[in-house]
Amino acid sequence: MTLALNLDRKAQAAAVVHSHGVPHRRIEDWKYSDLKAVLGEQGLGAVMAEWLVGSLPSGVEMFDLSQPNPPAWVMGHIARPTQNVMRAASLALSAGGVAFRVPKGAAITAPLKLDFTGPGHVRGLLVLEEGASLTLVEGVGVTDFRNVGFEIVLGENARLEHVRVSPNAADAVLVEEVSLHIAAGGHYRGHFAGFGSKLARMELEIALEGEGAEAHLSGVSVLDGKRHSDVTTHVIHRVGNSQSTQLFKHVASGAARAVYQGKVTVAKGANGSDSSQTAKALLLGEGAEADLKPELEIFADDVKCAHGAAVGDLDAESLFYLRARGIPESQARGLLLQAFLEDAVAEIENIDQRELVRTELLSALKAIV
Amino acid sequence: MLEIKNLHVAVEGKEILKGLSLSIAPGQVHAIMGPNGSGKSTLSYVLAGRAGYDVTEGSIIYNGEDLVALVPEERAAKGVFLAMQYPVEIPGVTTMTFLKTALNSQRRARGESDIDAVGVLKLVRAKAKTLNVSEEMLKRALNVGFSGGEKKRLEILQMAIFEPKLAILDETDSGLDIDALRLVAEGVNALRDPKRAMLVITHYQRLLDYIVPDRIHVLAGGRIVAEGGKELALELEAKGYEHIVGQAA
Repeated sequence: MTLALNLDRKAQAAAVVHSHGVPHRRIEDWKYSDLKAVLGEQGLGAVMAEWLVGSLPSGVEMFDLSQPNPPAWVMGHIARPTQNVMRAASLALSAGGVAFRVPKGAAITAPLKLDFTGPGHVRGLLVLEEGASLTLVEGVGVTDFRNVGFEIVLGENARLEHVRVSPNAADAVLVEEVSLHIAAGGHYRGHFAGFGSKLARMELEIALEGEGAEAHLSGVSVLDGKRHSDVTTHVIHRVGNSQSTQLFKHVASGAARAVYQGKVTVAKGANGSDSSQTAKALLLGEGAEADLKPELEIFADDVKCAHGAAVGDLDAESLFYLRARGIPESQARGLLLQAFLEDAVAEIENIDQRELVRTELLSALKAIV
Repeated sequence: MLEIKNLHVAVEGKEILKGLSLSIAPGQVHAIMGPNGSGKSTLSYVLAGRAGYDVTEGSIIYNGEDLVALVPEERAAKGVFLAMQYPVEIPGVTTMTFLKTALNSQRRARGESDIDAVGVLKLVRAKAKTLNVSEEMLKRALNVGFSGGEKKRLEILQMAIFEPKLAILDETDSGLDIDALRLVAEGVNALRDPKRAMLVITHYQRLLDYIVPDRIHVLAGGRIVAEGGKELALELEAKGYEHIVGQAA
């Protein structure tokens, strides 16, 4: 691939951004997350955000995307054409970012820790070749506005566990689009903990492209004040015998807003696909809001698809039981909230990361009970 | 220890208890028997402090203190324990974590120091053995997937661990087969103590074969309509509630 083609893709992306403009609430996908309103006059800008890698685990190859002459594995995968405005923006409005490659068959045990920091736009690329495995721990630095466009490619039988924690940041606008391509037998686990921002949005577009490909998504959010947290997913079963699960749990207090929009598409011929989607929210207080929208689009036969959503308050009977055993009300509420979130947290396989997320949830819950 | 006078309780504006009076001294075991809908469970809930059970008249004095003014956790810390008819299932909280949290919450409220995890484990294990509560049950989420008998045994285990001054057992016999009933009753009898009062609420006489009360009160229509010694249970069993309730009316 040549530099010219890269510039061509950049021009295409710029055209997408130009024709769509900043997403706002009258666009269906952005109904609950009015980016245009929170960005106001500053708009999308054209600043390059930064990235930071603590220490690169041995066996992982890295390339700085702001450098010339990218290697073939970068050019082969990066910047696939898109109609997604924000993903296009991350390419059109910035030249920076980072790419990683885990070569064929390499099982990396140390987690790869990647932080995105600073304002502006930035790109990421992660390629796991056939049979490779990795844990990616993604950190989200607080800033005014950042947009991350992340592409992940899993080769045959590759395994990735991805853990991302988005901090409580009252004034930040943090947007990220992850695009995943999973080949036959590839296995992706994504876990997203969010504590809310002025506007926080994590968007995942996942294509299951080979038989036996799997994607398992889970997420938790604990929101207070006026925090907002949006997880928008689109899982596409392109071939049969692929599997996807989604489990998202939200706790919103004050005037916070939790959003889950999840679409599962089972393409024509993708028979024997198996998908499930569960989204639940507990609302503490009159002003809190949850918008849960699971959606199915099926063009195949013999598929197993389940989805459900529920919004409620803490169970009064459980609360009484705990209090009648001497546990003070606020602590009892905390315990029940923790219990509510637990099955989604338990989805994290990496023990250190699971404990880390648990600890952060605990302190966030303490602040709202 | 417990002095209930002319107690009126309304649930959602409907009066359920209509002037109930009852007094229990330390060391005594009293039974409340009554047909369905007589107000038995309402009495147990109002003693434990459940929201929505409004005392509209009368008083509940517990060790010289107005019980009605206390929230459920305060009552628990002061030694009031209700073994519930339907113990709730709480997925996501292990039984052991729950026991430790509850025990230390009560201790803290009394100004006592926490017992550490190892100490709690030792205490729980020692008491669990006699009630046939397995290690595995303690590791599971609270009451989740427990059989009826397991749930009731766990209630009695809690009673053994928290060592309350006043224990109220609400239909502890419901849903138990005869072996489970015997096990639970033995657990309760082992906790009879000169300093502890118990109030056993039941529909059937069966439980009172195993937990023999000092006194029986028959509750009907929100009032105590008959009282007597343990032989009253046999009379009820033989003649039915209608006979006794009819006589009183």
